[in-house]
Amino acid sequence: MSLLSPAEGWYYKKVSKDEKMWMIIALILCIMLFVWMVMWHVYGKQNPSSTTYKTSTVEFAELTEAFIKKNMVGVDNGIPVVRPNPNSDVFVMGEMWRWSPVLIMEVNQSYKLHISSKDVVHGLSIQPVNMNFQVYPSYDYLLEFKPTEPGEYKVICNEFCGIGHAGMIGKIVVIEKDEDLKKYGYENFKKAPVPIIAEEGREYSEAEKVIMGEQIYTLKGCGACHKTDGTSPIGPTWKGLYGKEEKVKVDGKPATVLVDEEYIRESILEPSKKITVGFEKTIMPKMPMKDDEIEYITAFIKSLNK
Amino acid sequence: MSNIIHGDIEYTESPQEQTGFLHRVCDITGFKVDLSSEKLIRANAVAAVVSLLLAVTAAILLVFTRYQPIHLLSAEWYYRLVTFHGLNALIFWIIFFEIAGLYFGSTVILNTRFCAPRLGWISFGLMVLGLIISNYIILIGQADVMLTSYTPLKAHPLYYLGIILFAVGALLGVVLFFGNLMIARRENTYGDSLPLFTYGLMTAAIIAVITLASGALIYIPTFLWSLGLIDNIDPAMYKLIWWGLGHSSQQINVAAMVSIWYMVSFLSVGGTSINEKVSRTAFVLYILFICLASAHHLLTDPGVSSAWKVWNTSYAMYLAVLASMIHAFAVPSSYESAQRRWGYNKGLFEWLSKAPWSNPAFSSTILAIIGFGFIGGTTGVIFGMEQTNIIVHNTIAIPGHFKGTVVIGTTLTFMGITYYLIPLIFRRKIIGMGWARWQPWLFFIGLALLSISMIVLGQLGVPRRHWDSTFSGGPFTYNFNPAVDFFWTLMMLGGSIAFISVIIWIVIVVVSVLWGPKMTGPKDMQLTISPLAPPAKSHKGFEAPGTLVLTFVFLLVFLALFFLNWKWLAATWYVK
Repeated sequence: MSLLSPAEGWYYKKVSKDEKMWMIIALILCIMLFVWMVMWHVYGKQNPSSTTYKTSTVEFAELTEAFIKKNMVGVDNGIPVVRPNPNSDVFVMGEMWRWSPVLIMEVNQSYKLHISSKDVVHGLSIQPVNMNFQVYPSYDYLLEFKPTEPGEYKVICNEFCGIGHAGMIGKIVVIEKDEDLKKYGYENFKKAPVPIIAEEGREYSEAEKVIMGEQIYTLKGCGACHKTDGTSPIGPTWKGLYGKEEKVKVDGKPATVLVDEEYIRESILEPSKKITVGFEKTIMPKMPMKDDEIEYITAFIKSLNK
Repeated sequence: MSNIIHGDIEYTESPQEQTGFLHRVCDITGFKVDLSSEKLIRANAVAAVVSLLLAVTAAILLVFTRYQPIHLLSAEWYYRLVTFHGLNALIFWIIFFEIAGLYFGSTVILNTRFCAPRLGWISFGLMVLGLIISNYIILIGQADVMLTSYTPLKAHPLYYLGIILFAVGALLGVVLFFGNLMIARRENTYGDSLPLFTYGLMTAAIIAVITLASGALIYIPTFLWSLGLIDNIDPAMYKLIWWGLGHSSQQINVAAMVSIWYMVSFLSVGGTSINEKVSRTAFVLYILFICLASAHHLLTDPGVSSAWKVWNTSYAMYLAVLASMIHAFAVPSSYESAQRRWGYNKGLFEWLSKAPWSNPAFSSTILAIIGFGFIGGTTGVIFGMEQTNIIVHNTIAIPGHFKGTVVIGTTLTFMGITYYLIPLIFRRKIIGMGWARWQPWLFFIGLALLSISMIVLGQLGVPRRHWDSTFSGGPFTYNFNPAVDFFWTLMMLGGSIAFISVIIWIVIVVVSVLWGPKMTGPKDMQLTISPLAPPAKSHKGFEAPGTLVLTFVFLLVFLALFFLNWKWLAATWYVK
């Protein structure tokens, strides 16, 4: 009678035995589900943390950069590799479109991962262990991980973050002992290369500028889009770029520019002013950089022509 | 258009007031059908079907993109069409149909008139305008932001404006629904209590108001932000409020869908809830305990504490889940009880085997109940718990889950009830009844394959909304468990079957409505309209033992999936 007014006395009709039985079972089940979640916090080993710090994208990028500088032991496909100490604070940043850094972790040791984004919302998804967390810009999510199995893990992005989303993939290596590093081609990654110490007022040689430029390339993640091997999956390759005539679009109109120091500076500070033809869909984000950093990067790009 | 209308057209003066209305008395059901309401129901239903066609056209292209051996679309068009598919399927198709349903339930079923037909057309116009604007902006590539459009991803301002216009139109439709209820109440057209169907729709409408308020709260600032008038929309706040719209609106669908299940019970076997008080209470639980449904989407997010998450997903006892579990018994038992009273009393399941399976509305409903409960419901509860969410969040298991709820559940229900709307509201005979009998089965099989394989893929870590599972262009690559190939194939197959089924349905609907023979009376009715089942003899013991057995089967399946998921969770790294 669902299309007619209910029969008289419907409000006082007794609930049948079977329906009553089902409702009681259902209610018990529902309460059990709640109790289960609470108990898992007491006895379970997998609970999302409640600790979040408010930060800014700029601040978090600086923290990550400082962390990487301190703990970096090498580079893997343009992404810096770090080996933090167990129980220490680790910074992991998502940005369009890479995770940085690559982590070397020891099995059954805890690491306090601070996770945030430099631009849009990302999804941190560790595979194949299949653990997934949301990553926001300007929120620093503190998750204390303890890997339970050694092996190579990938960090994929599972929250849509723009056209390059499907290529956003990072790496975590979990080792039992130092010898395991060999399996991953990391046998030389036991300690960090000595960085060039910045000294006030000293003129650097061209070779030193190239080394510092390469460090910036790695730290800032230029390599996520700009390869140095001649391939151009997302952005134009840097190999043979310097001194080249490049077809660009200025306000949608085609033009040709010479890639020189001035053009490189402009492309870093105002990337959308001149857009290289063929890369209209993957426009570079703005990269706030200091003058000397731009100088080193330019030196590095020049060096790739040799 | 008057030649479409058959039956007697009358102009009645209502006794209390001088508010007559042009209507016909339905020669099949005896209900008074306000002609202005009928036109609005038709218009909204037509817009719904158009939206569904847009949605499934995108869907089949998406399926063949994710199926890596074909990998059809470019990255750009893949993400564009994911946005397009989501908006047309989840918003336009469903809400247009629901507005048609709300008008039907508040005028025809209550024998009353439409309170303000002109406003009804304004509502319809706003919704159509919203649909056109948003779809246009998406297709020209100015809104590649997904349905969720999480800030700081930014779309063209007109994209947000389109959605706002659509929502304002829908809200106006909901207000008109309440206006119709008021008139019916004042003019005493239906007796003391609302029929259960309309009561269920009323709960849907109440939830719709809450939902659309959340929508306004988030889309208006985002629109201003896209215009540059607001500097910043906090991404965590955005997600919290957006899901106040996104998830609560699914509760509108559930309430509307369950209402239709009760209606089909009445139409196909003359059944009714075995205890209306229980069914109505369950509907009220939906309103009371769905308010922070967005919590289900923040379980692995920073910004809110575990205590907040655990509390707001459950309110200590999951009463919205309880509501669905009550309906899980109440709906099938309404069929069982009626069938038993018709004499199909042998054993536990004669009521089911002797049910009117050749009635496509009936088979749609039963299949929708099964899919909603066993696929959508079980996974929904398990994925919506704080810790288990870690192993499925943002994986393709999530769309797999809601293919179970909103596609097998809501969409199949809506498609099924349309087989009644064609003769009763569009006044046409159905062309292709033979196809119509198969269509729900085809749809169910296709979608069950699709959603189950998506759930398995998700459990294997495959992300949703992801163009290329070979990670081309990335610094590293990853190979999923080799089992994924099998499930991708299954998903592609399921998607294709479901697509064919929807096309069959759309062809039946369009051909019937445009070229079907006109209805001339009850003899033209191809679907049964059952008389009320005879009253029950007094009986002791169980009223619906078959249903009880089925619900226990459901319980066992749920518990099996529950422990499986927690076991998988326990095998992951430790995290706190």
